[in-house]
Amino acid sequence: MKAALVIARRELRSYFNSPLAYVFIASLLLSSAIFFYFLGGFYAANRAGMRSYFALFPVLLAVLVPALTMKLWAEERRQGSYELLMTLPFTEAALAIGKHLAAWSVIAIALVATLPVPLMVGLLGRLDWGVVAAEYLGALLLGSAYAAVGQYLSSLTRNQMSAFMAGAAALLALGLVYQLAVWLDLPPWLAGAVNWLSLGYRFISFSRGVIDSRDIVYFGLVSAAALYLTAKRLYFSAWS
Amino acid sequence: MIEVSGLSKSYGGFEAVKDVSFTVGDGRVIGLLGPNGAGKTTIMKVLTGYHRPSSGRAVVGGIDAAEDPLAVKRLVGYLPEGVPLYADMTVEECLSFIAEARGIAKAERAPAAAKAMEACGLAGMGPVRIEHLSKGFRQRVGLAQAILHDPPVLILDEPTTGLDPKQILEIRALIRSLGGDKTVILSTHIMQEVEALCSEVLILNEGRIAAQGSARELSEAMQGGELITAVILGRGGGAGDAGDAGEGSAAAKAAAALGWPEAAAKPLGGDRSELSYRAPAGRGDEAAERLFDWAAASGAKLLELRRERISLEEIFVRLTSEEQKR
Repeated sequence: MKAALVIARRELRSYFNSPLAYVFIASLLLSSAIFFYFLGGFYAANRAGMRSYFALFPVLLAVLVPALTMKLWAEERRQGSYELLMTLPFTEAALAIGKHLAAWSVIAIALVATLPVPLMVGLLGRLDWGVVAAEYLGALLLGSAYAAVGQYLSSLTRNQMSAFMAGAAALLALGLVYQLAVWLDLPPWLAGAVNWLSLGYRFISFSRGVIDSRDIVYFGLVSAAALYLTAKRLYFSAWS
Repeated sequence: MIEVSGLSKSYGGFEAVKDVSFTVGDGRVIGLLGPNGAGKTTIMKVLTGYHRPSSGRAVVGGIDAAEDPLAVKRLVGYLPEGVPLYADMTVEECLSFIAEARGIAKAERAPAAAKAMEACGLAGMGPVRIEHLSKGFRQRVGLAQAILHDPPVLILDEPTTGLDPKQILEIRALIRSLGGDKTVILSTHIMQEVEALCSEVLILNEGRIAAQGSARELSEAMQGGELITAVILGRGGGAGDAGDAGEGSAAAKAAAALGWPEAAAKPLGGDRSELSYRAPAGRGDEAAERLFDWAAASGAKLLELRRERISLEEIFVRLTSEEQKR
């Protein structure tokens, strides 16, 4: 665990040494605010709630998180520092977890930066702060799952752009697959399966203010599975 | 300290290293010499635990690199080829990260970094970002991170490539000062480097060991161990001034008289001519003596008599080209 923190600190420093972290935070703030005020119908709804704000997150994060995670391994491979890193005494698990913590921290910082939005909404009307807290917890968990999947895809290539494209495609699919069940008249068992699979559907229940331990476990499992695959990928690269 | 036995490593269908075995004793400096693609880097990657062998074993400090790569990584300081470093970090940040990664206690990190920077001629470079460093300085940072945790084993892949002559001498002096205390494996395709640094040489070609031993042993084991060159003053026999072809020169006469048909004779103008002869290993003394006696008996004068051991460079070229012919 200590080793993972060493990696996380280095990676976090690298995020803030480059414009990447700032661009990520600014993009999330701007795009979410723009969609919220102009497209989300905040005023039309005439109701103090953050639901339409957070409803955008599965899509916004699906595009923005891969921009954050694409470099995690692709850049190491391109730069050759992969070899340096892999000959330091780190376990593969510590490497994957450390990098995950760094990307997740940037997401968490970006979420903290959005706090003025609910605060302003709270000034305009009565806001249920319990629901807002649940929504933030959901966004944090969603961010973790997205970051882990993004990291795994980055470990598969030395080209950052392919890591980004694959990440955005995979996360949009995972995030939005539940919409299939809304649009199409799927048989109930299939709709159930699609909903079960979709990270976006899990996220919605947080927007309702419901904290279901099954949802938390689900996000945790997706993160852990993606990190496990990343560690395995690193392990097997020694046989390349 | 290092034992490699029957090591093979393939990448895809390509066999980069084929059945290589060698051992390196404590505190020895061994050089891996070979043309590009001979398998030097691959052997190092296996020894550092970065790659697993396809077959065979690589044991470092009693630990099998394939079974416990983590323990081997702790024992080894490694300078990868091309010195990949985090370009966005300063020298200090980079060394402090490596120190943390190596598990050096917090209080000892700064002194360890300062010591390594001092040893590698990096004093005062701490706050400079690595992307702004010249190739020579990057190389030094690479070396500094490799020796930072005072490892018993150092593996250096082409440690002097891309440096200017002065830097090369400095880095060599540093490596020499580390030997004796540490076991060092370095790779190079520069012969002088091996002669200057290594107690033992492993010549690799196409993934196999072409020759191994000390630089001296290698030279002596080779056919034509010594090159004898003599400048002779004296008239040749036969047709007066046919000296232009070298045939009538004193050198040619000497070669004929001594029974050295493969010796080369070259006129140097006037009555001087040059004879060069490859004496078989261990026969240098005898050849020189016979040449001297011949000169005394025939009234020619030796203006110069030189004996050179055949350089590793020649051996290297010969070994690797002989191997290719087969």
